[in-house]
Amino acid sequence: MKMGMVIDLEKCIGCRSCMVACKQHNAQPPGTWWNRVFTPGSHHHLTPPAKGVEFFLPVHCQHCENAPCEKVCPVGATYHGEDGAVLIDFERCIGCRYCMAACPYGVRQFNWEEAEKAHNRSHYQENYHYGYPVDHRTKGRLVYTPLRPKGVVEKCTFCAQYRDHGELPACVRGCPGKARTVGDLDDPDSEVRKLIRDRNAFQLLPEKGTKPTVYYLPPKPKEI
Amino acid sequence: MSQTMKIALWASGLVFLVAVAAWLYQLHEGLVLTNLQNSYSWGLYISGLAFFVGNAAGGLVLSSSIYLFGVKKLKPLAKLGALTAFANVTAAMLIVLPDIGKPIRLYNMLLHPNFMSPLVWDVIVLNLYAVVSALYLYILMLPELTGPLARFAIPVASPAEFSEKWAKRIAPVALFFAIGIHVITAWIFSTQGARDWWFSPVMAPDFVSVAIGVGTTVVLLAGALAYGTGEKYQDAYQTLGLIIFMAVCVHLFLMANDLAIHAWFGNPETHRIMEIAWGDFAGAHIFEVVAPLAGAGLLMQAGVRRSLSRLAASAGLLIAGVFVHRFLIMPAAYNNIPMTMTPLGQPGVHWSLPIASGRFFPGMSTFIDQYAYTPSLVEIVILLGTVAYAVFLILLAIAKLPILVKEAS
Repeated sequence: MKMGMVIDLEKCIGCRSCMVACKQHNAQPPGTWWNRVFTPGSHHHLTPPAKGVEFFLPVHCQHCENAPCEKVCPVGATYHGEDGAVLIDFERCIGCRYCMAACPYGVRQFNWEEAEKAHNRSHYQENYHYGYPVDHRTKGRLVYTPLRPKGVVEKCTFCAQYRDHGELPACVRGCPGKARTVGDLDDPDSEVRKLIRDRNAFQLLPEKGTKPTVYYLPPKPKEI
Repeated sequence: MSQTMKIALWASGLVFLVAVAAWLYQLHEGLVLTNLQNSYSWGLYISGLAFFVGNAAGGLVLSSSIYLFGVKKLKPLAKLGALTAFANVTAAMLIVLPDIGKPIRLYNMLLHPNFMSPLVWDVIVLNLYAVVSALYLYILMLPELTGPLARFAIPVASPAEFSEKWAKRIAPVALFFAIGIHVITAWIFSTQGARDWWFSPVMAPDFVSVAIGVGTTVVLLAGALAYGTGEKYQDAYQTLGLIIFMAVCVHLFLMANDLAIHAWFGNPETHRIMEIAWGDFAGAHIFEVVAPLAGAGLLMQAGVRRSLSRLAASAGLLIAGVFVHRFLIMPAAYNNIPMTMTPLGQPGVHWSLPIASGRFFPGMSTFIDQYAYTPSLVEIVILLGTVAYAVFLILLAIAKLPILVKEAS
C-alpha cells in the first residue's frame, strides 16, 4: 500500500474550502496553514494574473517518497508511516527546524509559541477551541494533538486521525468540486493510478528528486 | 591576577550570565522572541554555529604546523591554539541550544539518532573535536602541572618526554576531526538540494579555508594580547600572517568561483540569488570581501604586527568580515523560495509560492515570499553572551593554568 493523492485542477474552483477544513479539523494555530490554495502568478486571492489564464493550485505536504525532511531529521521524529504518508511524532521532535530548511515545498511550520498564547495574540475568541478534540496516536506515536506545544514542527498528515478510523482526509471530504482523490499508488487498477495515466498528471518540482505522492491533473485552457 | 584580567573576567562573565537569562526567558516564551518565521526559519544562531566552528580551527593549524610540518617556532602558541579551539568549538555547540525549540528533548539524539542526518554527524564530530582539543591541551600542559596543580597530573616517569611523544600522536587525530568539523558543518547546508544558494560542492572546501584564515587570526590575536608584540615572537607571527593571508585568498577565490557559476547560467533561481547576494545585501557582500582581505593584507605588514593596537584592529576587521560572511549564509537561501513555477499559460512569469509565516505580524500578510530578517534583541544578546563565554573561558584558563610559556628571566 502506498497512499497517494490526485488533485484535479480542472475541477478546483478556488473556493479554499479545503484550506479551511484542514485548518479547522487539524486545530492549526493562527498563522499556520498546512494547506494553501494559490492563484499562480497572482499575489491576491481570485485576482487573475491575466484574463483567462487563472487556475488554482492547492499545495500541502507532498508526502515524498524520497523525503528530504525525513532524511535530515536528527532524531527520526519525521518518518514514513506504513501507508507511505510522512508523519511527525510530536513527542520526539526537538524543534531544530532542519526539516524546514530541507523541504522545497514550504509546507513545514513551526510553533513559535504556545497555541493558547498565539490565539490570544491574534485576538481569537476566548476559550474557543476548534478541531479534532483528542490526541491521536498511530502505532503509539503522537501524530496529532489539538493544542500544539511550543517548539515543535507540524504539517499535513493526510489527516492521520481520520484515516486510522477508515475515513478520508478533511480536504477530500470538504471539496465541493470533488477535485481530490486518494488511493493506492501501488495498485495499477486504482482510481488514482487511472487518473495519473489518463490525464497527464504532473508533480511539483520533480527535478528535486523528492518523488512526491501528490499528483496534479492539468486544467484545460479556458474559453474567454 | 592583574587588575585588567579581573575586570575582563568579570565583564565577560556578566555578559554570559545576561545571555543565560535571555535564553531562560526565550525557553519560557518560545522562539517567538526571535525575529524568525516559517519562511526564514534559521538566523543568527545558526550563523553563529558556522562562525564559532570556523574560529575553532586555530588548534588545527598550530598542532599540524608544529608536529606534522615541523614549524617549531610556533611552539609557544600551541597551547593557546588548543585552548581557543576548545573554547570556540564548545561555543559552537552552545549557540545551537537556543535555536532548538525543545532542548529538553536533546536526549533523543542519543536514543534515536538518525544517521542519515548531517546534523547528527555534526554533533558527533563537534563533541569529538572538543574532547580531542581538551586532551591535547592537557598533554601539552602536563610537564608544567606542578605545585598545586600536581594532583591533576597523571604519574609518568618523564612528563616532558611523555608530553612530546603523545602530542605528536594526537596531532594527526586532531587534524582529522578539525577538518571534519568544517566539512560536516558545511554539509549541513550544502546537502540541501531545496536551497540553490547552499547546494554547492564548493561549500565544504570554502568552510575549511575560511576556518584556517579566521581560526589562525584568533590565535594570533590571543598570542599578541598574551605575549605582546615583542621581537621574540615576530617570527611566529609572520608565519601565522602568511597562513592567514593564503587562506583568505583561497576562500575569496572559492566564493567568487561559486558566485560566478551561479551568475553565468542565469536561470530564474540564480537570478534571484544574485538579486539578494549582490543587490539587497550588496553592502554586506562588499564588506565580507574587503574586510577579510584588508585585515589579512595588513597582518602581512611587519609594522602592523609590531603594534598591538594595529594588530588587534586588523584581526578584528578580518573576524568581523568573516562574521558577516556567516550571516550571509541565510538571506539568499531563505528569501529564494524553492517552490517556484512558471504558471500554466503564462510564459515568462516566474512565480514563488508564498509560505504561511506562523507568526502574527500586525500589518503584514500571513503569506510571505520575501522577508527582511533582522535579529531580535534576544538573539543578539545570546550571541554576544556566547562570544563572552569563549572569552571568559580563555581568560580563566590563562589565569589559572600553565597556558603561557614563562619568560626565561
